[in-house]
Amino acid sequence: MELTITTLKKSILAASIALLFGSGQALAKSDDPHKMHQLYQDNCASCHGADHGGYLAPALNSETLKGRSPTALRTLIMTGSFETLMPPFFGRLSDKNIREMVKHLQTTPKLDNPPWTIKDMKASLKVYVKDESKLPNKPNFKIDSMDDIIGVAARGKYGRGQGSEAVFINSKTHTIIGKVPTVTAAHIIDFDPANERWAYVKTDTAEIYKVDLYTMRAVRSIKTGWNGPGMGISRDGKYIMAGSFVPHNAVILDAETLEPLKIFELEGIDPDGKKVSSDSGMIIGTPYADIFAIALENAGQVWVVDLKDGFPVTKIKNVGRHLHDAFLTHKGKKLMVASYDDSIVTAIDLEKRQIIKKLKAGCVPHVGGGAAVKVDGRTLGFGTNFGTCEKTVVSVWDLDKMQLVKQIPVSGGTESPAAHANAPYVAVDIITKDRRARTVQLIDKKSLEVVKTLDVGGHAYFPEYSADGKFLYISAGYAGDEVIVYDSNSLKKTANIQMESPAGIFSRGRVKYMTRGLSPDEME
Amino acid sequence: MKTLSYLVIVSLSLGFSINSQAASIYAGQSKAAAICAQCHGIRSPSAEAPFPPLAGRDEEYLESALKQYRDKTRISEIMNNIAGSLSDRDINNIASYYSRLKP
Repeated sequence: MELTITTLKKSILAASIALLFGSGQALAKSDDPHKMHQLYQDNCASCHGADHGGYLAPALNSETLKGRSPTALRTLIMTGSFETLMPPFFGRLSDKNIREMVKHLQTTPKLDNPPWTIKDMKASLKVYVKDESKLPNKPNFKIDSMDDIIGVAARGKYGRGQGSEAVFINSKTHTIIGKVPTVTAAHIIDFDPANERWAYVKTDTAEIYKVDLYTMRAVRSIKTGWNGPGMGISRDGKYIMAGSFVPHNAVILDAETLEPLKIFELEGIDPDGKKVSSDSGMIIGTPYADIFAIALENAGQVWVVDLKDGFPVTKIKNVGRHLHDAFLTHKGKKLMVASYDDSIVTAIDLEKRQIIKKLKAGCVPHVGGGAAVKVDGRTLGFGTNFGTCEKTVVSVWDLDKMQLVKQIPVSGGTESPAAHANAPYVAVDIITKDRRARTVQLIDKKSLEVVKTLDVGGHAYFPEYSADGKFLYISAGYAGDEVIVYDSNSLKKTANIQMESPAGIFSRGRVKYMTRGLSPDEME
Repeated sequence: MKTLSYLVIVSLSLGFSINSQAASIYAGQSKAAAICAQCHGIRSPSAEAPFPPLAGRDEEYLESALKQYRDKTRISEIMNNIAGSLSDRDINNIASYYSRLKP
């Protein structure tokens, strides 16, 4: 009942605002396209794409906004969009600028793959700590093990500014150890598997920060593109690979200096025979070999890059239509890749560099970091799904036999599963945009059924277990502005930690267990 | 003059404190999360936002300000519209919720 009222009130609110602001005002002329382009880059591009082609948020260009009421668009920019990440720009942009922006968006076509070359990357390299050898050789805070560190990508309400930072937490005491400002929204945090002191943070505007966890500060940064979250680190900690949505390329960096070593143009023949230029999907290093695997989203290919002279590429084709993310299994020799448009997860053998099998998934599979657990001698993989078809499920596959075991009904679309060898439940975040978005559902590992629904608040997403499996961390993002910690067994709320629009949560424990849910022994 | 306004404030606050006994903090929370928090946040607005914080503010102040915005005796293009959709009860609930929240 409360929900209905709220929704009704909200529509009344939106309508009344639209009415007021629409009262016969003439459209402003955007007299200076350069100024508007800059204003777009500085306020909108980190979510809507530097090429106006959409990224986390919808594409804003003359094609997609054709026929939309300028008044409604102006209202949307002023008030933001409820239950999404779109913030209110009232008071941040002048009314004149908002009007000009609407005009600019409705007259600008999607830009054609704006370049960001190796020269641009080199010029963007910043060094904050000149001599890293002078940094202390142990953490300047008390912690039992560096694996207890959990990093949270705090987006900041506006996707940039003071609220945008990587927040590092001691997952035993639930206290913040350090905050590393990232200027724009932090998206991915990867930990060096070979040296516990380093972490790498990638933002939505494709900057990578090399972070010294001992002193909790950035030592270097480089801008690897315009937009794109893709980032992986090699098992020896020597290389970083980063991929972009804009432009369509990927780069291998020297992890120590962040200097770019080689650029890869992402293009190929898609499963329907069309030559396409492609966004970069997931990039992953694996504990089993000196390689990176990268998904070419639109080309439907996975490339395996050998980390040796010249960085040669093996292309695995026809993996699926619109690939996105993936997780590793079998000591890192097998890769499970989600394919949006054909609702499958494709198992790839990274040793033989070929497809093992295409497994049925739910609708628009988005596996997040993935999860795999050992139950009664079987290794089970869990796959979440973005989409909301007639039924919403979490898929469970037997990863030894590579077959579907069960599709567990859940209450909505899901984005990321969390599991831990020592915790009884696999947690999945419900993202369907209504009251359900406040919740996380827990699947019992043995019965493979949803046994509990947590009402976390905010827009709850990206669950993650602490390295010891004792605590479940969940972002109450969007309006929630806090990370909430639960006891993994009793599911009692243990702590809440304030930050602005928290999103992805990354335990350093991941480098030990490779894929969440597996025991560290799996890696041996 | 001072005495008079003091008396007004006292009598207002008495009136409100009776009202707030009936206020539902839960309903206030739900309304705040759905409407106010978009700009003002729950415990605090964004560090980058031009909006004032509401958590821990004086209950009577919140209530009178919201009513003024609603009745357009205090002018703000955006607040007049947002508060315009609120009933006395909503305002009561929201003020009750935010005033009890630690910033």
